[in-house]
Amino acid sequence: MNEAIIIRNLTKSYGTHIVLNNLDFCVYQGEIFALLGINGAGKTTSLECIEGLRKYDSGSITINGIMGIQLQSASLPKNIKALEAVKLFVKWNKTSLDKAALNALGIYEFAKKQYYQLSTGQKRRLHLALALTRNPDILFLDEPTAGLDVEGRLSLHEQIRQLKAIGKTIILASHDMTEVENLCDRIAILSNGKISFIGTVEQLETIGKHYTITVQTKNRTEKYESENIGDSLLSLLMQYKEKGETIIDIQIDRGSLEQHFIKIAKGA
Amino acid sequence: MGAFFYGVSLQWKLDIRSKTLLITCYIVPLFFFAIMGGIFTSIMPEARYTLIQSMTTFGVTMGALIGLPPSLVEIYSSDIKKVYKANGVPIYLGLVLTNISAYIHLFIMSIILYIAAPLAFNAKIPEHPSMYFLSLAIFIAVSLSIASIIGLAVKDQAKTSMFSIIIFIPSTMLSGIMFPIELLPKSFETIGKLFPASWGYKQLTENIFTFESLLPLLLFFVSAIVVCNILLRRIDR
Repeated sequence: MNEAIIIRNLTKSYGTHIVLNNLDFCVYQGEIFALLGINGAGKTTSLECIEGLRKYDSGSITINGIMGIQLQSASLPKNIKALEAVKLFVKWNKTSLDKAALNALGIYEFAKKQYYQLSTGQKRRLHLALALTRNPDILFLDEPTAGLDVEGRLSLHEQIRQLKAIGKTIILASHDMTEVENLCDRIAILSNGKISFIGTVEQLETIGKHYTITVQTKNRTEKYESENIGDSLLSLLMQYKEKGETIIDIQIDRGSLEQHFIKIAKGA
Repeated sequence: MGAFFYGVSLQWKLDIRSKTLLITCYIVPLFFFAIMGGIFTSIMPEARYTLIQSMTTFGVTMGALIGLPPSLVEIYSSDIKKVYKANGVPIYLGLVLTNISAYIHLFIMSIILYIAAPLAFNAKIPEHPSMYFLSLAIFIAVSLSIASIIGLAVKDQAKTSMFSIIIFIPSTMLSGIMFPIELLPKSFETIGKLFPASWGYKQLTENIFTFESLLPLLLFFVSAIVVCNILLRRIDR
């Protein structure tokens, strides 16, 4: 697979505080890649360094393609109309107005509304449209669905899938693990300025796999922690049989992706 | 160039929609002209000889110092600048577009005063109109350049208004448009010379280019460009 972005030994400090410590990873062309981390892990700093919005101390960043950037906290002049903003960016970037993309994002529904009149969802869609005006190969989406209702979120997810389908590489920063699970091919978890995990969602689940077995008998309820469900379950059944206790119910909790993420992100 | 002209026309529309520039470039200066023009020419009939120049100096100073900085603060003290930068729009574009748009608005307002003053108050038209408009063009540019410093240096709208007024009041009061500058105490006269309005008014009333009155305006302009450049670099960091 060809790399869209190559990060090598990226280091960034604020005074004595090291925010990015020899960051090293690649993003492949055509994939949706999520950058995750708890607050203060260095997500935004690393994204802004890659996007060219922030200077870094050392290391190298190679970008193979044109970038389009949707920032998490973005704004426009309050009196600019949605379509005027798109036209300004299209003209400045010497590209053409992609009416199909604007239609897909529903920009024409609020084309003549001024920025301050737009809802959060409309603003998100407009900023995604602006990021697409450069006809980018690589798209950065920083918390694209933050503040959106369920319908808006699902609609934007569909747009992101369509962008991937036409070959765009997408870098996503998100706190929403369901979003990451549904959309992303690979994820990287940043912890204290370093990559503490990189791989697929399935690999993350495997690495962090941990089971809680709850056994309920007539008189009591017991909880057991296990990493090997087969052996543990068999052993527990034998123990209860030997004691002569009748099991009423058994529940197995495999742990959520959020739990796996927090475990890795906090270095637990 | 198409993108640039589209940007200018868009900024022109935004300024009209935002009302701030509309009020400070048209409504207040023209209202001031309607009231003060009548008062000046009633109390001092000879004021009609300099009415166009004095009202224009007031209008340009007000439109530039009070009208422009809020537009710049909106762009440069918010996430707008990041959106521009992230999507390939150069950081200076906001500054250039807002200045050009404000320049056009102030020139139109000045033309309205130039036409209305003789009709309303029998004001005397400058002897050399071409020289007058050339002086006006320079004065508007200088006023906007000073206003740009406020807009780029100050981070929020409330402080911007405060700084704008702090500069605007002495600019107009000590410029000579209300009463002859020679009547002021020497210290006030000296303070007045620290603001472009006094030099602008002098230039507009003289009708000829003298090195003495043009040099301070040029110095203001060049210094302001340098400071704006430094501020833009700081913002871009």
